[in-house]
Amino acid sequence: MATSIRLYLTCIRNTLEAALCLQNFPCQEVERHNKPEVEMKTSPELLLNPILVCRNEAEKCLIETSINSLRISLKVKQADELENILTKKFLRFLSMRAEAFQVLRRKPVQLQGLSIVISEESWVKVVAGHVHVVIPKLPCDGFCVDIDKEISELKMSVNTRGRLVATEFLKQFT
Amino acid sequence: MAAVEVHQFAQCITCHAWSADRSMIAFCPNNNEVHIYSLSQDKWEKVHVLQKHDQIVSGIDWSARSNRIVTASHDRNSYVWNQEGSEWVPTLVILRLNRAALCVQWSPRENKFAVGSGAKTVCICYYEQDNNWWVSKLIRKRHDSSVTSVAWHPNNILLATTSTDGKCRVFSTFIKGVDTRDSKAGSVSDAKFGEQIVQLDLSFSWAFGVKWSPSGNTLAYVGHNSMIYFVDDVGPSPLAQNVAFRDLPLRDVLFVSEKMVIGVGFDCNPMVFAADERGICYLVEAGALLDHLSGSTYIEYQFSEAFGKFYGQSKHGVSNDAIEPSRSRGGVHDNCIM
Repeated sequence: MATSIRLYLTCIRNTLEAALCLQNFPCQEVERHNKPEVEMKTSPELLLNPILVCRNEAEKCLIETSINSLRISLKVKQADELENILTKKFLRFLSMRAEAFQVLRRKPVQLQGLSIVISEESWVKVVAGHVHVVIPKLPCDGFCVDIDKEISELKMSVNTRGRLVATEFLKQFT
Repeated sequence: MAAVEVHQFAQCITCHAWSADRSMIAFCPNNNEVHIYSLSQDKWEKVHVLQKHDQIVSGIDWSARSNRIVTASHDRNSYVWNQEGSEWVPTLVILRLNRAALCVQWSPRENKFAVGSGAKTVCICYYEQDNNWWVSKLIRKRHDSSVTSVAWHPNNILLATTSTDGKCRVFSTFIKGVDTRDSKAGSVSDAKFGEQIVQLDLSFSWAFGVKWSPSGNTLAYVGHNSMIYFVDDVGPSPLAQNVAFRDLPLRDVLFVSEKMVIGVGFDCNPMVFAADERGICYLVEAGALLDHLSGSTYIEYQFSEAFGKFYGQSKHGVSNDAIEPSRSRGGVHDNCIM
């Protein structure tokens, strides 16, 4: 299990490394604008082919690239009903604070996931000289693993709490 | 290969240009200003700040003989800066653009310059004595997308452009009253202004960084699909060669000599391409570079690494400076990306 997720994450990382060749590129359609082309999609020649990395039906990562921006959409693992609810709530919590994360999209592109838009501007700001340090920490490893961990922790605490409540409740019948 | 000198001027540099004697450098620190640094006693000092643009400066070129700087910016304007005393005096150029200017280059005779733009046009600007300003003539409706790079042929007439539609085109820019028809230039001098001499459709992806070789016989440009293209005999029947490499794509190239090209780009490492006697181009291992360039010239990574790092991968204005073997201080300045 651990190795298979590593393969999936390595694949995402390699794709991102190649896709993160961003440059400053002003808008061709609107005067004095500079917008992420991956969101605008006004000039088809400025977009590259999107890449979908799938581990299984539940875990997918869609990487869309353009000349000045990159969009990563993650679908987070949801094994059962409880995880489904937890993921939904957790991602909603994140999306509502999208502004604080700077690169997080308020609305995910796919359902039940979250999207990150990296523009050239934010990339330069974040990178500031640490390209090879940042890439390994990008959404792939750190982020995916963290979300998975967070959700399984939440699941654990819900289960523990449920068990405690049930024990307390059933005590009165003894 | 270690960097010979590393200077950290700014977090990120969008474009830069060297003065003729390489003692000064003008660059844009990713904002609307142009900073000029001068080398005095092995220390770089900020001597001027050129403020006139109101958006990020995308192109700078410093003319070698007439000592003028031309800047182009995303604010659709371009300025020609003349040094008067200790001040740089700007002159606005009427580009007649409605989108951002992306790149700029002086022609070899320095009587014209070309500006590539996001309006899918190229402006050829020249000085009009009567009105005392720079006027521009546009090459319209030839490009299907933004013009990312322009390069002048040594004959001062031909202009090569690359565009994000993946094509490289060569135009004639003959302007009556500015250029004179001479027999040396051959058949190309008969072409009218804006006439397309050739269109090269080699790349499947965006094309960047076009350059002519010193003699003007070879044209090199790069594609975003990690390829570099060399074109000989530009004209009705061009000969093309593609070289693919395994690293991240390049952004710009620089001819060190007729047979050797340095490419820099997202990979943060300069790459060297050389041609053998039969004219076949190949990628030279970095270690072999010094052997190739031993003797009168040596590579000087003027401010590579740290500088390049802070350059960020995306901004990479690269460095391109002609090699001067006579100068003892060295030839190529290459502020690579890392």
